Formats: sequence, C-alpha cells, structure tokens
Amino acid sequence: MSGWRLTLRQPPAVRVDLRSVLPAALAGLSAAQIEQLPVGHGNVLVPLGEFFTIEANEKDDALVFEGDLSRFDRVGWQMAGGCITVDGPAGHYAGGCMSGGELRVKGHVGLLAACEMAGGQLTVEGDAGDFAASTLPGSVDGMRGGTLIVKGNAGERFGDRMRRGTALVFGNVGDFAASRMVAGSIGIGGQAGAHVGYGMRRGSVVFTAAAPTIATTFVPALVEVQVFWQLLAKDLARHGGPFARLPSRAIERHLGDLASDGRGELIVAR
Amino acid sequence: MIENGVAIDDSFAEAFPMKATRLVITAHNLTWALNAAVSATGFATSVIACGCEAGIERELSADETPDGRPGVSVLIFSMSGKELAKQVERRVGQCVLTCPTTAVFAGIAEGEAIALGKNLRFFGDGWQISKVINGVRYWRIPVMDGEFVAQETTAVVKCVGGGNLLLLCRDTDAALAVSEAAVAAMKALPNVIMPFPGGVVRSGSKVGSKYATLSASTNDAFCPSLYGLVAKSEITPETRCVMEIVIDGLTEADVGAAMRAGMLAGIALGAAGGLLRISAGNYGGKLGPFHFHLRKLLAAGAPT
Repeated sequence: MSGWRLTLRQPPAVRVDLRSVLPAALAGLSAAQIEQLPVGHGNVLVPLGEFFTIEANEKDDALVFEGDLSRFDRVGWQMAGGCITVDGPAGHYAGGCMSGGELRVKGHVGLLAACEMAGGQLTVEGDAGDFAASTLPGSVDGMRGGTLIVKGNAGERFGDRMRRGTALVFGNVGDFAASRMVAGSIGIGGQAGAHVGYGMRRGSVVFTAAAPTIATTFVPALVEVQVFWQLLAKDLARHGGPFARLPSRAIERHLGDLASDGRGELIVAR
Repeated sequence: MIENGVAIDDSFAEAFPMKATRLVITAHNLTWALNAAVSATGFATSVIACGCEAGIERELSADETPDGRPGVSVLIFSMSGKELAKQVERRVGQCVLTCPTTAVFAGIAEGEAIALGKNLRFFGDGWQISKVINGVRYWRIPVMDGEFVAQETTAVVKCVGGGNLLLLCRDTDAALAVSEAAVAAMKALPNVIMPFPGGVVRSGSKVGSKYATLSASTNDAFCPSLYGLVAKSEITPETRCVMEIVIDGLTEADVGAAMRAGMLAGIALGAAGGLLRISAGNYGGKLGPFHFHLRKLLAAGAPT
C-alpha cells in the first residue's frame, strides 16, 4: 500500500467537508478515482480533484494534506486506522469521532477537535479552538478513548463531558476546562482559565505549571496516592514537554466537584 | 550413572498441565510487600487440599515495578482456570487488600483474563474509582491508609506442575543441607516455584492406598522406618533420609532448568555431603504428558 499526497490548489470559497477522505477509503483507488471522490462544498458535492492535486507517495503509507486547510472540516472524521498528516492548519471537528489510527496537524485546528474521540491519537502542533476533546452538541458523552495532544493552547470547554482517554495541552486552556467531566485524564502545561472542573464527577486533571483558581466546591485531599500518581505520571511523561518530569514531582490534590459526584480530582504538581 | 559419588537413577519425573498466573505485589517497602506475598501464598502447598500451589518467585526492585515501589512477584498454579480465578480473588482479597500500603498488578500480559481487582472493587462501597491508563484498567479502592490500587484483571497461561526430585541422603542433617542447597539454586531461576514448606516435602506419596477413599498415600518404598518391613524398599542402610522437591513452572523448559539446577547443587555437595542418590517420582508415564528424564537433563547442559 502506498500513501497519497494531496496539495491544496487554492482556498475554497466556502467550507469543505472532508469526512469521506480517509486512508481506508482511499486504499485500492487510483489517483483518477480519488480525484472523483465527492466532498461536500457548501450545499453541493464537488469532486476532490477540484481542491487538491493528487499524487501517490511511494515512500510513506500516510495520507498527507499540504496547504492551509483551515476551511476544511472533519479531517480524519471517524477514522479507524491509518495515518493522516496535515502540513498546515485544519478546520473544525478535526479527528472527531475517530476510533483508531493517527492524525497529525502541524498547524492550528478549529472548534471541536477530537470531539467524541474513542481511540487513536490526534496531535495538534498549534492551537486548538473551543470544545476540544468534548462532545457533539446534544450528546451525553464526550471523548471516550484515545489520546489528544495539543502542543499550543486550547480554547474554552476543553474536555467537556469527557469520560475516558487522555487529553493534554502543553500551553494554556480557556475557561471551563474539564467541565462536566465524567472520567479520563487531562493534563494542562500552562495556565487554566476560570471554573476548572465545573460539575466534574470523576476524572483527573493535572496542572504542571500553575495552580488554577479552585472553586469552593472542591476539598483539599489529605491522603497521598503515590501508587496511582506514579501510574498516571509515567504515562503522561511519555508525551514529554511540560509532562516529562511528572513522576519525580510531588502533588497536591483537590477533590470534587461536590456539586456533582465529587470523585474527581484536580492534581497540582509542586 | 555416578556423578561425584551420587547415583543418578535412569528415571524421570512426570508432570502435569496446570493453569498459572503471576501477580506483582508492591508496597511502601519490601517488608510489607513480603508480608502480603507470604500471606497470599500461604497454605498453598498442593492442589489436593489447598486449591492452588503458590509461592514467591522473586523480589523486585523499585525500578522493576509499575508504581516504582519495591515489590514481590508471586506465581499461583491451579488445575483449572476457574479454580485459579477463585483462589486469586480470595487470596488477593484477604491477604493483599488487607495488607498495609500494598498494590497489586498483573505479572503476565498475554493470556485469558481473570478478575484481579474487578470484583474486589465493590469493597469500595461506591467510592471506588476506575482509571484506564495506557489501555489498562485499574481500580482505586479507598482504605484506611489511603487507597488500594489493583489492576482489573490478570492473565492465565498454560503451565507445568509437578516436576520433582527425590534426594536420597545419608541422614537428616545431610538431607536438609542438600535439599536447602538445591532449593536455593532453583530459586535463583525465573518462572518457577517450589510450593512446599521451604521448598521441600518429606511426605512424598504414591498413587493409591489400602483405604478405598484415599487416592494417594505415603510412599512406603522410601520410608526409612519401613525398611525391612515393606516388600520392596528403596532405602538402604546407607540412605536413611529422603526429601522431595516439587517444582511448578510456567513452561516445560523452566521446570527442566530448575530440576537440573537442583541436581547440580546436590551433586556439588556429592557423596561427601551426604547425597547418595537422586531419583524422581512418576506414575509409569501414563498420567502426565511431561516427562523429565534425570540423565537427559544433566546431559543437556553438559559441555561437549
């Protein structure tokens, strides 16, 4: 199997939906067939070849997009395997509902990145917009597996309703990070906005740089949880950056949100 | 075949397939990890009445355990996966969950999964928390010294139980010294346990009994007190004390390596140390699929 390199011709007039362009869907197709794949462009379907020049990439199995894809939504949507690289920014819903494989975006991503993600890994080299690692509007559960890594900053409602998986931000996050979180692990390498863990039931939020403002509905923990912390810290340390030294750092924990189930924890590394 | 004055019988040990798992028990320090491990592997000498055969495989340093604390690895063997699951749950529940500062992890990754913390979590009365870290689920159960962390499941593998050596010695002092040396040599190897007290069993058995309800009874041919009384005795005026070492291992090769190490340790002490003969227990080769021929084991590692 060989990969494909899709180079943007020019930015589209309206937003394009790339949900059908996945490594599995492209396997076995010729360049001419791929050019004919219909993709949503506004309210019409347009052949993929209108937007991209398509060439086979013998060296690599990955599907590579080149150019500014900030008007292209749902890159890697429901991806179950394979590898996609975006050599530039991507639009909204990047890696949404993906269950396997690897998606790497070398620029910024829009809203709802990795929303309802169940497996695989999304790495964003730039910033992520609001509602990353969260839930689709109206849905009960957010991210439920896999790994999201944002090397820049993330917007508001990061990890909203998240229930499993790992979501890390190397930089800052906006307000309401980990709001309504059900379970899972979130790591924040920079500053967090207001109302961290608002309504969280379970789950762990790790702060490596600065303690956030902690609501009065959280209580300080008396007990050290060295076993659990070493298991979690070693796992997060694999991702490097602000998380690399976590296993050797002591922690303070705050338990809550008592307005909900109250079994969540905000972990501040000292 | 005579090695350093020790006669090696042209015989073989007959062993059986069993099911096993390895648990890694960690604690605040090695003392408490050992307290838990000793307790959890207690009363586990023979599947006949204990439900399982269990023992400490080795001690683990802090950099060998999942949580970076000192630990102990424990092997538990049973005749079926179902019985093994029952024993693991009872022993971990009563002996590890209860022991101060401990945590417990699966020591084998590949194989059919049985519950480890999966059912013990209900001790948390609703305060237990599940945590999936890198694809592995752990349970955090609040207890009076903090929290007990247990991996959800451990894996069961097919293994070999019942490898054995019979050490025929001059007297009690020699028999203890020889069997202690043999057990020490075997303990240095991975993937095996010697489940009897101190690794040694003095009540070796034969199949059957004069009593219809008993399936096994004392191995009268090797009992010095019956010398001259039984029709056929293996005892001589020179060999007046016999010890047996039983070995359970994860693979046939592990059991064979342990038997060989035990024999070599005994031979090193030799006739001068009071070991006069090495034999092994079998049932004619009809019951167990694994046969460990003593002379072949010794020859296998000999320099050519």
